[in-house]
Amino acid sequence: MIALPKQETKLMVAVHGWSGIVLGLLLYAVVLTGTAAVFAEEIGIWSGGHVATQSAFERPIASHVQKLGADTPAEYREAVDLFETGDHDLGMFFHRHEMEAGMPISRGWFYLVGADGAVKERSFGTNEDVFGPRNDNAFSSFLVETHVRLHVPSPYGLILTGVLGLAMLVAAISGLLIHRHLFKDIFTLRRGAKPVLLNRDRHSVAGTWSLPFAFILAFTGSFFSFFGTIGVPIVAMAAFGGDVEALNESVFGNPGTPDARPTPTAGLDRITIDAIRRAGAVPTFAAIENFGRADAKVTTYHPPASGDIAPISLVYNGADGTFDAQKPLIGPRPSVGGTLAAIMSPLHFGNFAGIVSKAIWFGLGFAMCYVTYTGLRLWLVRREAGSRSLDWLDRSLVIVGLGLPLALLGSGVAFLLTMPLETATFWTPAGFMIASAAVIAAGALWRSAASFAQALTALTGVVMLALPILRLLMGGPGWVNALEAGQWVIPTVDLALIVAGGALVRRLRFLEKSDADITPVMQAAE
Amino acid sequence: MTPTTRRWTRIAFAGPGAVIVAIVTMAGMALWLPGGAAGVDNLVLPLILVPLIWAALFFHACLDRNLTRVTAVALGLLVIHGGLIANKFMQTDPANQENHR
Repeated sequence: MIALPKQETKLMVAVHGWSGIVLGLLLYAVVLTGTAAVFAEEIGIWSGGHVATQSAFERPIASHVQKLGADTPAEYREAVDLFETGDHDLGMFFHRHEMEAGMPISRGWFYLVGADGAVKERSFGTNEDVFGPRNDNAFSSFLVETHVRLHVPSPYGLILTGVLGLAMLVAAISGLLIHRHLFKDIFTLRRGAKPVLLNRDRHSVAGTWSLPFAFILAFTGSFFSFFGTIGVPIVAMAAFGGDVEALNESVFGNPGTPDARPTPTAGLDRITIDAIRRAGAVPTFAAIENFGRADAKVTTYHPPASGDIAPISLVYNGADGTFDAQKPLIGPRPSVGGTLAAIMSPLHFGNFAGIVSKAIWFGLGFAMCYVTYTGLRLWLVRREAGSRSLDWLDRSLVIVGLGLPLALLGSGVAFLLTMPLETATFWTPAGFMIASAAVIAAGALWRSAASFAQALTALTGVVMLALPILRLLMGGPGWVNALEAGQWVIPTVDLALIVAGGALVRRLRFLEKSDADITPVMQAAE
Repeated sequence: MTPTTRRWTRIAFAGPGAVIVAIVTMAGMALWLPGGAAGVDNLVLPLILVPLIWAALFFHACLDRNLTRVTAVALGLLVIHGGLIANKFMQTDPANQENHR
């Protein structure tokens, strides 16, 4: 129990309300897409119809890297990134490091090698192009991009989401400070009470349970947003006279004696076998420094080991494939700062214990969406009680709160329809924009916000039920094919959509029967 | 100081003041924090801590009834870290000028 004096409590209530109301709708969009993005990998498998289960790193890759390295102009062989993309295809990005507008970028040749060893794609570009959306992952990439920067150009999008993270941090801390009966509130859900009290209880219970989670998400999220946009340039300015590359080398580099003698980077197959054995998991990413030189180093990155929270990285000598050391993600040896920085990512993405931690993060993210939405409604009802007309805000809340999930599903529909035509990178965001425009127009013209909310809920349920059917109609793999290939993600996502869609449609029928209206049942926040 | 002046002073320290002081503190911390076992703590910890520094300054400006203390903490951090950065640049400037000759 926190006992602030009355005046300070009143101020904290105002801070809590305004921190939500000023940026609440944008914050809701970031939290909702972040909740979906927890399962971005699974959504990518489901939407792209990927059934392969063998990692590209479990196949021989050394000869492909050697051959394509020889095809690449020497100036772009400074470093190589190796990663999986598509249906466990191997992406190779031979590049050099450059500075553009004061920020470090990578530029070079990208190759995509399929499971059969055929080169599916060759293209020249920067890291933005290589790691940007592709035809078969446009939907999951769209969700992640919306969460990370709301599609606002860099660096402003990241700064905006960073500010939203700080607003969430303020809402979480002030929410903690205004609870006079913290432990009582966790368990207070008066089921027999009037709807007004019940809705306040629900907001309070969901908010109280998710307070620590909100704090962690807000803290780690604002860290990620500000890290490259503001933090690194300013710290580099103070410590290295503005040399960002020098800072990156100090923090992420593998120190060693330079040896530029031409030597083939030939030990990759030995490295991947050994790395999988040591880490107990396939690499999520591998990076080669000084490709084709005697001092080549290969770093493989892996998810945290069982029972641990920090990801693993292993360093090898590139020329002969001998193991060098297990290295922290940041710095040449374990340190407080390196460990703290390394756990920021698993804490934010919830990917440290496989599907279990992801499911928990998804559930808590959903609770955060509920808290943000109901918090905004409570604030609104309080103002309406003061006879101030805020119908426009009420409608905006319904349009964003219930329209955004529908528009995101609309982008999924557009993706499934256009992926076979190889135009999904354009139509996925376009589908979102079209669905959003339709929701906004309908919301402005609908007779009341309450009935519009019911219509949106019903339509969301229907689209959820339709998505698995659409996926099959557009040539996606069936359950039998997927399960025979050992790919359980596709049927699971189908089932989740059917259950969620069915629940929404059923809920609407219940509301119609009981003639309940969601608008008047909210009570003012204190 | 009138109540209105006090309120606006508090708003200034909780709003733009907290942002400016947090950024300058982050930059200055890189110059006095120990590097730690890996020699990177002084570079990494300020980047991690800056959201918390900002939040601490924001809530301190909101909740501390003693406005003098709010001013002293914020300006103290600003002057100390700003001074460290200025000192670093004054030390490095002659070297840079040498290099450009």
